Amino acid sequence: MPDQGNQGAISYSMTPYTGSWTKAEAAHLLRRTMFGATNQQILDAVSNGMDTTVTALLQVPIIGDPLAYDANETIVSFGTTWVNALYPANTTDAQTVENARMMSLGGWIMERLNQESLSIAEKMCLFWQNHFAATAVSDSRATYDYHMLLRQHALGNFKQLVKDVTINPTMLLFLNGATNNVFSPNENYAREFLELFTIGKGPQVGPGDYTNYTEQDVAAAAKIFTGYYVDGLRSSTATDVTAIYNGILHDTSTKTMSAHFGNAVIPDNGANEYQDLVDVVFQQDECAYFICRKLYKYFVNYDLTATVEANVITEMANTMIASNYEILPVLDMLFKSEHFYDIAIRGAIIRSPLDAYFAIFNSTESIANYTLDTNMEMMLNVYWLSEACGQAYATPPAVAGWPAYYQEPSYYKMWVNASTLKLRFDAATFVTILTGIPVNGEYFKVNALGFLDNLSDPYDPYLVIDDIADVFCPKGLSTTQKAILVSILTGGIPTSWGSQYGDYQIDPSNTTYSNPIRTRVEQVLYRVFQMPEFHVM
Amino acid sequence: MKRRDFVKNMAIASAGTPILLNNIKMQSIGKKLFDVPKSAEDRVLVIIRLNGGNDGLNTVIPRDQYSNLSIQRNNILIPEASVLPLTTEVGLHPVMTGMQSMYNAGKLSVIQNVGYPEQNRSHFRSMDIWTSGLIDNDPTTGWLGRYFQDYNPNYPTGYPNTTYPDPFAISMGYEVSTTCQGIMANFSHAVSNPFDNYNLLTSGSVNDGTYYGDQIEYLANLIDQANGYGAEINTAANAGNTLATYPSTTLGQQLQYVAQMISGGLKTKVYILNVGGFDTHDAQVLSTDTTAGTHANLLQTISDAVAAFQTDLQLLGIENRVAGMTFSEFGRQIASNGSRGTDHGDAAPLFLFGTCIESGIMGANPTIGNSVIDQDGVPMEFDFRDIYASILKDWFAVDTTTIQSFFEHTVTFYNVLGACSLGVEEKSLAKDEALLYPNPCSNSSTIRFKSGDEWVRIDIFDLSGRSVATICDSNLTPGSHDIFFETRDFQQGEYVVQILKKSGNVQTKLIKVR
Repeated sequence: MPDQGNQGAISYSMTPYTGSWTKAEAAHLLRRTMFGATNQQILDAVSNGMDTTVTALLQVPIIGDPLAYDANETIVSFGTTWVNALYPANTTDAQTVENARMMSLGGWIMERLNQESLSIAEKMCLFWQNHFAATAVSDSRATYDYHMLLRQHALGNFKQLVKDVTINPTMLLFLNGATNNVFSPNENYAREFLELFTIGKGPQVGPGDYTNYTEQDVAAAAKIFTGYYVDGLRSSTATDVTAIYNGILHDTSTKTMSAHFGNAVIPDNGANEYQDLVDVVFQQDECAYFICRKLYKYFVNYDLTATVEANVITEMANTMIASNYEILPVLDMLFKSEHFYDIAIRGAIIRSPLDAYFAIFNSTESIANYTLDTNMEMMLNVYWLSEACGQAYATPPAVAGWPAYYQEPSYYKMWVNASTLKLRFDAATFVTILTGIPVNGEYFKVNALGFLDNLSDPYDPYLVIDDIADVFCPKGLSTTQKAILVSILTGGIPTSWGSQYGDYQIDPSNTTYSNPIRTRVEQVLYRVFQMPEFHVM
Repeated sequence: MKRRDFVKNMAIASAGTPILLNNIKMQSIGKKLFDVPKSAEDRVLVIIRLNGGNDGLNTVIPRDQYSNLSIQRNNILIPEASVLPLTTEVGLHPVMTGMQSMYNAGKLSVIQNVGYPEQNRSHFRSMDIWTSGLIDNDPTTGWLGRYFQDYNPNYPTGYPNTTYPDPFAISMGYEVSTTCQGIMANFSHAVSNPFDNYNLLTSGSVNDGTYYGDQIEYLANLIDQANGYGAEINTAANAGNTLATYPSTTLGQQLQYVAQMISGGLKTKVYILNVGGFDTHDAQVLSTDTTAGTHANLLQTISDAVAAFQTDLQLLGIENRVAGMTFSEFGRQIASNGSRGTDHGDAAPLFLFGTCIESGIMGANPTIGNSVIDQDGVPMEFDFRDIYASILKDWFAVDTTTIQSFFEHTVTFYNVLGACSLGVEEKSLAKDEALLYPNPCSNSSTIRFKSGDEWVRIDIFDLSGRSVATICDSNLTPGSHDIFFETRDFQQGEYVVQILKKSGNVQTKLIKVR
């Protein structure tokens, strides 16, 4: 943690930011809320202004279903969705079909990131994926439903999301809710519900008393949650996986919460009792503080100082409480606040593997755009590259999520080690100056020419490098670094760049002129992606 | 001010120095309790992970149980005449001729029925248990990571350096190994090809004192570390040699690289290799020939590559420096299923190899019943954590007290390394010493200390000097005591465990991780 004395006078104010609104501020906003904005998106954000841009970011676009593409999918035909399809009755065949669906789902999720619009949706889906941290289950229909639930409430009501997640089949399976019944209570979900999902664990202040809740509350919550099980997994007759409530399995006793919840009494309410508990827990303002701290660490900075807590978190939590746990107003305030744009917190986050890879692709306008099966396989390769670097989207490593988002004191440093940094560099090399990811005879790599053509002034090598620094590096690059990049771009002759680019523009399809231009841009990107300045945001 | 703010501010005000306890000399976690050689120079451990759960009963075949095996797993059973005998009671799968020769030459040992109490049959959970060596505590650190952390408490800051120019461990492939996860960073370095040039662009960027600058500096240092380790590996690979013919499999290629790096003088102590595909739920044997198929191919891959590696080490004259071990997250069920496969089970045999190991067969054949019991697995005879502990003791000469601090159960040591053993016998705790195990911990730990016939009080303080737990407050009998306590409720961070007793007070540090 840096010496706070060197940070200058940081603004902790949550009042609307009124300072200069240039590419630096706009790019900061888009870097933190998207996986990789293009130069044009940054320019648009500058001209549209902060308020309009934040409003645009805070919506969740409609998306299409994952589609079957793999030959192992024998139930539905190529190019159609399997999310409500049956499985073969034979278990071996069902596993084969599931393998195809897992790949379809993994490729589809990566495609969502690759094709994100000007929206915070994908960043929020990953936020919730980290928060609830359920891993993919053995039926991709349920995994898909779980993902769509997170997406549906991505900017919605936190309290409602917790209610829905509680009886979501994937969560019921992940934390043993499906086997928690009156005959053999299982506290797994109840404990994580309090410790990690809603109010959070405070310091222990007495036997079994964690400031915000006690062991009594864990036991009571476990009883309240009893009665649900999961039906339809890999079914050859049911088109979906569902949570079923059976009153026989439910603990009908009256449950009493601890003093932390005002000794609330929760009488038997059958299938809806879990909602009563969520309502009781969310009466405690600490729930708002808890999720706001997490949002802050994810979007702003890992360093939750007492000053941040007293100013920023308190303001965020107050806003959340005033709106009865709506997420959107909190983020709206955060992304328009003085604190968010303070220079001291820019570049404070090391990019996660997904942030790094999709910044490389999305900011260079590189979208897998071939046949469905080729696109999916290309996206799966990105999934696996990210997995090798420690971030497999569908399988957070623990119920607390990815350590880089919570583990003191290293936090975001945990995304990289000497090996995974080399892997990032190698992958970036592969998709810039080498062939790219090969699938079915096509190659997924940076779209160097398309990227260049859409920069502010492709004829001017200095402006090209300025744009590149603005797009990829949160605090830009030094004069020396830029000079090196200009030299790489122009082969050491900046004066000749304009005419070379002009030659290519006369007939962009003539590779005699386009290839040297493309190669030069790829060389520049290759270099940028190996700079520490690219790997922070 | 809210209570939470207050506590936070206290923690900040007192960061690093407990308010009430700052004048008391503490045993730091990095300090060695006893002054013994940390490790034997030049000794290397090679670990081969069989991913997916290896079918132990078709790998090491209990020949004296054959008739009942034919009841349990007739559709995958190896014909009795094809089994490669090691002893009259024990044999190997027919494809494992290489390892049979190693056994006959005294370079292979079989440890039977290795597992852990209350076997978890989930791949992920069980692999976490095997790589962390922790069951009750969260798998935040790896068993080898704790070993390396013990004498490198500040890693990765300042590494590589002149004392430790090489990676502590190398994981072949792209992923670092969770066995080597330390508190701050992973001690293993992933190497897919040691001849790869590590010339990552170095950065002249400097720390400007902001959060940004701190991250930039960290990344720039990592680039230097990657280049530093990469250059050492590259130099060693080029200086090294290989004299045997290896099978053309990934494992064969990787073991050849390992031989090359060792012979080239790399000072890396542990190499980790992975072989996947052992999750043989169906068609693990051919319908026409139970000695062939998926599982046979996997075992042949292991056996051929390990045998070639051993030959290479012998030809290179470095055979005495290298010991090897295999492991898998679980064995498979005793009865086969209807798809000519086997489902997740419990204990399984583990191989040790090398000239230094105590060759032979440790443990008894599992007893196979004459009727199928649904989901029945092979019961555990040896706890894998004791095998790890024994290797640390005999091969790396770690003292037993330090080893105990890496684990949460009371360790039992076995003689697994015979003549090459460097094992140091346990020294008893002095009256002003205490041992916490495991440390770091997440859910629970145990404190070991000695007392006379006296009253003993043990408190745990956080860094603001606030007591978070009292785990003992009573009269104890003379002798050594182990007191178990829960830490699940603690916030992550550092704590001080204080023992008050007439015969000598003790303060020692406990680290709680998630």
